[in-house]
Amino acid sequence: MADQHDVETTGHQWDSEEGYPLKEFNNPLPRWWLYSFYATVIWAVVYWVLYPAWPMLDGYTKGMLGWSMHQEFAQDSKAALAQKKASNDRLEKLSLKEIARDNSLLQHAMSGGKAIFGDFCAPCHGSGGVGVKAGGFPTLADDDWLFGGDLDTIYETIDKGRDGAMPAHLQGAGGAFSEAQVNDLTEYVLSLSKRSQDAAAAQRGDQLFHGEAGCNGCHGDLGNGSIKGTVAGSPAPPVGAPNLTDAVWLYGSDPAVVRASIAKGRTGHMPAWGSGAKETGKRLTPLQIKQLALYVHGLGGGQ
Amino acid sequence: MKHDTIERSIPLMVILTLVLISIGGIVEIVPLFFIKSTIEKVEGMRPYTPLELVGRDIYIREGCYNCHSQMIRPFRDEAERYGHYSLAAESMYDHPFQWGSKRTGPDLARIGGKYSNMWHQAHMQHPQSVVPESVMPSYPWLKKSPLKYEDIEKRMQVLAMVGVPYSAEQIANAKKDLQAQASASSDASGLSQRYGNKVPKDDFDGQPDQISELDALLAYLQMLGTLVDFSSYQAQAR
Ligand code: HEC
Ligand code: HEC
Ligand code: HEC
Repeated sequence: MADQHDVETTGHQWDSEEGYPLKEFNNPLPRWWLYSFYATVIWAVVYWVLYPAWPMLDGYTKGMLGWSMHQEFAQDSKAALAQKKASNDRLEKLSLKEIARDNSLLQHAMSGGKAIFGDFCAPCHGSGGVGVKAGGFPTLADDDWLFGGDLDTIYETIDKGRDGAMPAHLQGAGGAFSEAQVNDLTEYVLSLSKRSQDAAAAQRGDQLFHGEAGCNGCHGDLGNGSIKGTVAGSPAPPVGAPNLTDAVWLYGSDPAVVRASIAKGRTGHMPAWGSGAKETGKRLTPLQIKQLALYVHGLGGGQ
Repeated sequence: MKHDTIERSIPLMVILTLVLISIGGIVEIVPLFFIKSTIEKVEGMRPYTPLELVGRDIYIREGCYNCHSQMIRPFRDEAERYGHYSLAAESMYDHPFQWGSKRTGPDLARIGGKYSNMWHQAHMQHPQSVVPESVMPSYPWLKKSPLKYEDIEKRMQVLAMVGVPYSAEQIANAKKDLQAQASASSDASGLSQRYGNKVPKDDFDGQPDQISELDALLAYLQMLGTLVDFSSYQAQAR
């Protein structure tokens, strides 16, 4: 610090009466600071000339470099595509079955599928497809399929989406059956997985299931689901009616939940991600859907 | 004028400070009112339906913007995860806009149609029931609170004053349109005549017998980012 007597002051002075004059020094700015400041001013002017900068009354100055955010984005995307072109071309050309036979290509496709699954599918199917706590979202890592577990069916499910329509059966909720009849149907459904407590009610439910209520039209004569069901004239394409005889439940195994499914109906919705989706819903390319189909098929239950 | 003079006169200093700041403000803001190219010409944009509008107000009330942005930036990683980058036109009816930059959760600019209503119901009730590692809080009261919308016409009138093109007919039919959109089975011919036939109409909260706050919030979420017809959009270099 320079001796205070040598430094110019601004002329402001306080407290002079007390004998301790408080003065404002007018020290010069440090050189390094001053020159950095001038440099930033010059840089700002250079920036205005090179890059888009100043708004004008109708438009803005475009800058000499012609740089634009959207152009850079387009180039980035193109470069990324070009980089993956060799392997992607093969995946695009070959059919799902052909890819599945080529082990290294399959591994490549599945690792891509795994990343996409994490972003788009895991919120409903759980990471790794193991399912989530909330009811209504099927596990994909088992061999219990609603619509089918072969590669082409899985592809179609992802591409076009699926809607499970289980009608309501209780009077007042949109159905035609009384409380007692719905209880009987519930009892019969529970008996299919050997959990019935009331054989007589299950017997009455059996009559309804295969008769008046026509549950077997979707769930199959044996109640083992629309893709396994043995009923003649069972609706095609598959309606996605679950197997009611096993331990895997879409909405939950609790008798009250089973009863709610029958009474009020269910409308599980698997969104479409490709050709079946509306414009902004086409979030995935055919190539990505292929990778996903191979990944899901490889989760454990592929057929 | 010496700075001594300015510093010793508070009114003069205030006036000169204001002048200086307004020059900066004018240079930055005024041209935006004239630049036509800041808002792209696109097909499909429409003002929010009454139900979506109340849902948007709930979104703001609950502070969802503290964790969620609604602005997909033109970067490849963002486009791959969230979809086409956001256009200025897509928020031209937003007062205030919800762009944000805080992303504790994912961007929601194109959340519309990504998930089913059933998923949103479970997720709003208890996010961890579908995404175990989620840090998003639960919003269980939305499903239980009946929607308040007596003042919907006023809300639309205020927006009309700041430039949202609500017609007199849309404002007059606001309550009817709101009720029609929140039900799966109602007659919605008026709604689609006034807002287009792409408006998703459903029993969003899964409770057919009441219009809850969740109905409104989900109606809003399910339309986000779905309006612009990108097949007709030509990217301009910007
Ligand atoms: C909004 C939640 C949701 C998302 C996101 C979702 N799914 Fe689904 N998915 C479902 C539901 C619900 C079903 C069952 C449909 C039904 O109830 O009929 C289903 C069914 C399926 C099935 C058929 C299962 C079977 O048993 O036949 C496959 C395969 C599948 N999803 C794969 C995917 C893939 C791959 C993705 C990611 C691109 C994905 N899903 C994203 C909800 C979702
Ligand atoms: C039109 C075809 C159809 C008919 C008829 C039908 N179901 Fe279903 N059912 C389905 C579908 C599809 C699902 C899956 C719902 C979903 O994906 O959300 C289902 C789901 C269920 C479930 C829930 C299973 C689970 O895993 O959680 C039960 C229980 C059930 N049905 C019982 C019945 C009974 C009992 C009847 C007759 C009273 C019946 N269904 C009639 C199609 C049908
Ligand atoms: C504390 C921060 C926080 C707040 C507040 C918050 N969220 Fe979230 N949100 C998250 C996180 C983290 C995720 C990702 C995990 C998940 O899906 O739950 C998320 C996910 C979501 C998703 C799914 C996005 C996707 O693409 O998978 C939606 C929709 C959503 N939030 C809506 C809302 C709404 C509506 C509100 C206000 C009522 C809200 N969030 C408030 C943190 C938050």
